[in-house]
Amino acid sequence: MHPFLSPKTLLTRVAAAILLLVLVMVACSFVGTEPISLKAALAGPALSSASPNPDYEILLRVRVPRILLAAIVGAALAGAGVVFQAILRNPLADPYILGVSSGAGLGAMLAVICSVNWTLWGRSPVAVFAFFGALGTVWLVWTIGRITGKFHVTGLLLAGVVVNACFSAVIMFLTSITRSQDVYATVFWLMGNLAEEEAFVLWASGGCVVAGIVALLFLGAQLNVISFGPTDARSMGIHVERVQFVALAISAFITAVAVSLSGLIGFVGLIVPHAVRLVLGPDHRQLLPLSCVAGAIFLIVADTVARWIVAPAQLPVGVITAMAGGPFFLILLIRYNRKVYWLS
Amino acid sequence: MTTRVQLHNVTFAYRPDQPVLKDICLSVEPATFLAVVGPNGAGKTTLIDLLAGLLEPQEGIVAIDGREIHSYSRRHLAEKVALVRQEHVPVFGFSVAETVLMARIAHVGQWGFERPVDRRTVADALDVTDTAQFASRPLADLSGGERQRVFIARALAQDTPIILLDEPTSFLDLRHQVAIYDLLKSVQREKARTVIAITHDINLAAQYCDQVLLLQPWRAASGDQSHSAPGAGAHYRVGSTHQVFTKSEIESVFGIRVFSASVGSENMFLPLGEMAKDAGRRGPPQPTDLA
Repeated sequence: MHPFLSPKTLLTRVAAAILLLVLVMVACSFVGTEPISLKAALAGPALSSASPNPDYEILLRVRVPRILLAAIVGAALAGAGVVFQAILRNPLADPYILGVSSGAGLGAMLAVICSVNWTLWGRSPVAVFAFFGALGTVWLVWTIGRITGKFHVTGLLLAGVVVNACFSAVIMFLTSITRSQDVYATVFWLMGNLAEEEAFVLWASGGCVVAGIVALLFLGAQLNVISFGPTDARSMGIHVERVQFVALAISAFITAVAVSLSGLIGFVGLIVPHAVRLVLGPDHRQLLPLSCVAGAIFLIVADTVARWIVAPAQLPVGVITAMAGGPFFLILLIRYNRKVYWLS
Repeated sequence: MTTRVQLHNVTFAYRPDQPVLKDICLSVEPATFLAVVGPNGAGKTTLIDLLAGLLEPQEGIVAIDGREIHSYSRRHLAEKVALVRQEHVPVFGFSVAETVLMARIAHVGQWGFERPVDRRTVADALDVTDTAQFASRPLADLSGGERQRVFIARALAQDTPIILLDEPTSFLDLRHQVAIYDLLKSVQREKARTVIAITHDINLAAQYCDQVLLLQPWRAASGDQSHSAPGAGAHYRVGSTHQVFTKSEIESVFGIRVFSASVGSENMFLPLGEMAKDAGRRGPPQPTDLA
């Protein structure tokens, strides 16, 4: 009768999406400037004690870690994008809107200017400062939003815009008064780059992101109701403030993890939730997991293009996501025009 | 479903010393249709918010089934009281069926997947409100009247003994206004629900409601001593439509002149503006004007 979402349909779709993700990962492992063969790579880490197996080295130490990193970052950004759009009840929201971007930028800039040179868990000071800068700014925006009172969502959005503008100005100021080459490197880093990471970093950040997404999955049904507004949600038995706080905290956390790994990769958190919503509808129980998988796939493909299109040089992946994401989104918009409700 | 709603000396103020509601006492028997009427700013929506547990009174008690409303958990309260707000369009393109199904969230588990009983309740709510025909269409594609019926269907699917509505007919044409009131009346009678609706349409309220709460802005009622405030020192009046809807009451509370006549057993009112075309020619309005 009516198209209700059954657990069976949901599980089938998620399983299919994950299968597609694995296929994309495998396919992209074999795309790159150096042709490698699976057979050669399977021969093992070393051909002899003296010479390492180049195919194996490239596959497992270069390509696979980078693909996993793209998957982690893409899933985190898309998942956080879904939550920010639902909580802020604004289809234009993205994971950076509450100050993550400028906070991370300011943190990274401070790390460079103060010449911090220790490392934490193998992460560069730029990444660590960006992580805490992002989280600290979201906390600041949340606090300001609370102070502005009852119309919490509008207050949050305004606070986010103002803090972002302020911090961006500070970043530009610091950039212009500092002559250090490192500052330009930081600006480049913030544009959004993926690089090879150590296994420990992948495990730790991947664990954080997956745990965060799983926790968010429990909130899908509540997010549906909250997108109708806090009054409706409360009258239907939802603890609105609690769900809002938990969802935003988790989303800000996984976004900050993503930013500390890769800088500011734009468009993923905005476009992927929209694309999935256009095709499969707005139900957050389904939108959230499928957006995470789609975000992972999208960023893996974008990064593969980024490291291959101007080889042997590499583009920042943020450039690819913006350039490819826009037209891709427009095609979807036209194709599924009848389902575009928020424009009416 | 025998659920009684009671307000005992309820006072609520957004700002100290400026109460919106002052010492309200009200008892609504099960399966009653209560209209809440009064000028803008009289505290009608505040009263509904209090009954929905969205606000907490500074003084007095709001009780449902003899239990103080804030002693209920949010979820338990959602099984007692459903709320239909003024008509609005959601941000995302949820379909009618999805929207109505959300009302079951207080009844289903964390994951929010509906059981067969939830489907039956939703299908029933769609049938009663005559919205099953566009169950799979997005809310934004519907007209205002259709959308209002969907939100009433959602309140029905929540399966609560009490349904609160904030101006359910404010944007609707005459035919759809009557359709909504017919629907609410049938819900009250056949499903034995208590319906509490804010309305500006006194005449529809007179035709459909069993009990009326007429609110006057507290400041107007308390500030003007010469003025015969409704009730003894109170800024509200509660009773049957015949008791509350009298010409003098309506004229004093709304501060206008009205023409009144009886239709069936109920009093109906027609506001008379000073600049109306006929205002100069007309003497004191006579019932014969109707003819």
